[in-house]
Amino acid sequence: MKLEQNLDKNLELFKSKLKSDDVTFLNLNVGSSKAFLIFVNDIVNKEELGHLILRPIARYQGQVTEKKLFDLFLSPEKTKINQFEDCLKEVLLGSALLVVDGLTSAFSFGLKQFERRAITEPPTSTVLKGPREGFVESLPVNISMMRRKLKSPDLIFENVTVGRYSKTPISLCYLGGIADKALVEKLKNKLKSIKIDAVLDSSYISKFLCEHNISIFKQVGNTEKPDILAAKILEGRVAIFVDGSPIALTVPYLLLEDFQSPSDYYNSSYSATVARGIRFLSVLIALFLPAFFVASELFHLQLIPLSFLLTIVNSIKGIPLSPSYEMFFTLMIFEILNEASVRMPKYVGMVVSIVGGLVLGETAVTAGIISAPTLMIVALSGICLYTVPELEQTFSVLRLVFLIIAGAFGCYGILATIALLFIHLITFENYNTPLFAPFSPLIKDDMKDAFYKGFLSELQFRPKSLRNKNKRRILLNEEGEND
Amino acid sequence: MINKNQYELSFRQVCLFLIALVPVSKMFMMPSVLAKHSNEDLWLSALLNFSLDFITLFFVVLSCKNAKNTLIGALEDKFGKTKTKILFCFYLLYFLLKALVPINEQKDYVEQTLYNLTPTILYFCPFFLVAFFFCLKHLRVLGRTSDVVWFTTIVGILIIFALSLGNMDISSILPIGANGVSNVVKGSFSSFTWFGDALYLMFFIGQFKFEEGGTKKILLSFLCSAVVIVLFTIIFYSVFTSIAFRQKFALTEISKYATVINNIGRFDYIGIMLILFSNIFSLSLPLYFACKILSYVFSIKYKWLSATIVIGIQAIVLIFFNQYVYSIENFVMNDLGVFFLIFSNVIPIIISLLIKKENKNEVAV
Repeated sequence: MKLEQNLDKNLELFKSKLKSDDVTFLNLNVGSSKAFLIFVNDIVNKEELGHLILRPIARYQGQVTEKKLFDLFLSPEKTKINQFEDCLKEVLLGSALLVVDGLTSAFSFGLKQFERRAITEPPTSTVLKGPREGFVESLPVNISMMRRKLKSPDLIFENVTVGRYSKTPISLCYLGGIADKALVEKLKNKLKSIKIDAVLDSSYISKFLCEHNISIFKQVGNTEKPDILAAKILEGRVAIFVDGSPIALTVPYLLLEDFQSPSDYYNSSYSATVARGIRFLSVLIALFLPAFFVASELFHLQLIPLSFLLTIVNSIKGIPLSPSYEMFFTLMIFEILNEASVRMPKYVGMVVSIVGGLVLGETAVTAGIISAPTLMIVALSGICLYTVPELEQTFSVLRLVFLIIAGAFGCYGILATIALLFIHLITFENYNTPLFAPFSPLIKDDMKDAFYKGFLSELQFRPKSLRNKNKRRILLNEEGEND
Repeated sequence: MINKNQYELSFRQVCLFLIALVPVSKMFMMPSVLAKHSNEDLWLSALLNFSLDFITLFFVVLSCKNAKNTLIGALEDKFGKTKTKILFCFYLLYFLLKALVPINEQKDYVEQTLYNLTPTILYFCPFFLVAFFFCLKHLRVLGRTSDVVWFTTIVGILIIFALSLGNMDISSILPIGANGVSNVVKGSFSSFTWFGDALYLMFFIGQFKFEEGGTKKILLSFLCSAVVIVLFTIIFYSVFTSIAFRQKFALTEISKYATVINNIGRFDYIGIMLILFSNIFSLSLPLYFACKILSYVFSIKYKWLSATIVIGIQAIVLIFFNQYVYSIENFVMNDLGVFFLIFSNVIPIIISLLIKKENKNEVAV
């Protein structure tokens, strides 16, 4: 709907839509014409409003024309709008809107001022070496952080608004010469097609970006750190920022990327390779140790060395639960403690850890409810899972599945479940990118940054697993041509 | 005609397929079956079968070169749809029979060696679920499986070989050929069900881009698998000598006398588990192709339906008619040698020659 020339009609229209008490309607005179200014009280910088808008208005004496008025204001962020819906959107986003009698366009001034959190190190990805800054909830701040990392005209931000009530600004970020255009278009269309009441966090968006809803595996990557995001964008991924969320999403996603820690790239190649090996091994231990232990106890005693078998026999003497129930029970206690300690206030969380971990565990073993090896295996599995924190939720569900299968079917059941999971992983594709690359399909060049972390000088090409353009990332010489 | 931008497999995957999935299914019962007929010449029987497959593979690989069409497309162009479907009906039967013995053997293995405390067929049932899921997937799954499974196969084989080499008495297989040609042929004849792997490559015609020097690479990959199995049969007989035919499941028996096992437990089970893992896919192969053929022959649109039919038949026979399975198994091993020879080797060679001729003609035109 277009704005009317008649000021009173416009005022009535705005008042009918903006009934909230925090919206201010300010009547004024601009030269010889009447006008009104609309803004939301607490999100507009009043000092700037006075200096850049109200003072020039008070001093203005001449005839009112659109061009003259537009030139009058000193605000760097000013636009002319003639659609009523766009005017409403601007006001709600934190702009001040000036509507003048006799004009069919309104003037919007970007004077938003939101309270924002200081930039700190994100709790989910702390590092010993490397940058410590993390994204915050403010989209402009996050964009400025990315601009500081990649000072290139190729760094492109494209904005979309999602959410019928929240009108959340979402920004797609990519490197023009590297990211696949078809992917960017697909993502834009997906974002535009989201019809949801509100987007309160980026995780809302990630659910809509998944191409397969029933998979247990993540399909969209995420990070809270600008350095990691810059590296991912440089590999050809597209990032998605959501206003109000400190977590940026990245597409396409490879399972391997959660095994790659930022510190791998800041430390020596040798230590990074060892660290990665430990991470892979830890995940295997976390997933399969409880299951294989139960299967061995129940069905395959021959798998356990004799001396260890004697230790187990001594420790399970008098335990009322069967091995699978015992492991399941202990694992559930661990999951409950984990869930409680995440949600509890920090100072109570410490107490819960001590009571749960030490007192409860020790007492349960002494009371003969669970055996010491079971407790140790669950504890080890729990710790190992946190070496890849991004996949902790997926793997803890899988661990339970493997445990149930182990109790019911033994080792062959575990092998069959691994095979099932493996078939799912190798055939799974999101945005034309195989989730299990570069292992399957095997991409030789990308293996330099998989199990083994190659020297930086070896990583001359962007990952072939992703459909990126401009493959070479290290030029051969100063004038070296990119392929 | 094939769309060259959408090959289902890569050349590397075809080579890895031969290394990853060909040898594993031959490491369970086959060595003892060979030993029963050929005694110390069991490896010659294996070698004879591999030679037959090698020759077949050579012709199949030649037809893969410059392939202008997929197997079905080429056959339909040459013989028409009806005749192709009739031929594929026989192949459906072939794959169902080919799957039966190795799967039953695997079932017995799982029951008797892994679940010796509580043997029940239920423990083997998850295999059918995996096979069903496998059959739902596109041909790409075979290549991607091979990309990873070659590793588990090789590590598994290395562990088993390392643990069993110390107990061999190589003189037990000498003198070579002492058991007579007829017994070698008999051993070879009775083990056809485990061979015929060149046939799988026939179904890959037109599904992958042939590389320069590809013939050598593919044949070399197959040769690696052949050498591993021939070596395995030699080690097996060298460990057990004249009682080898009684060791039904070679894979578990061959390494259990290693000294390291006395000290740290059955370390060999790591290798066995890895081979068992690879074997799940190897055993699913005939079922996979049976599914695809069933869908083609009866124009079944839904993959799940053909998978249910094929897996269902196998599962019902193995679970509910278990007492008859051994009779069928004997029939397959003793009386169907010619059937397997025709469909694993003779027909693939003829088809390959025809396709090769067709390709040549097209190039000439």
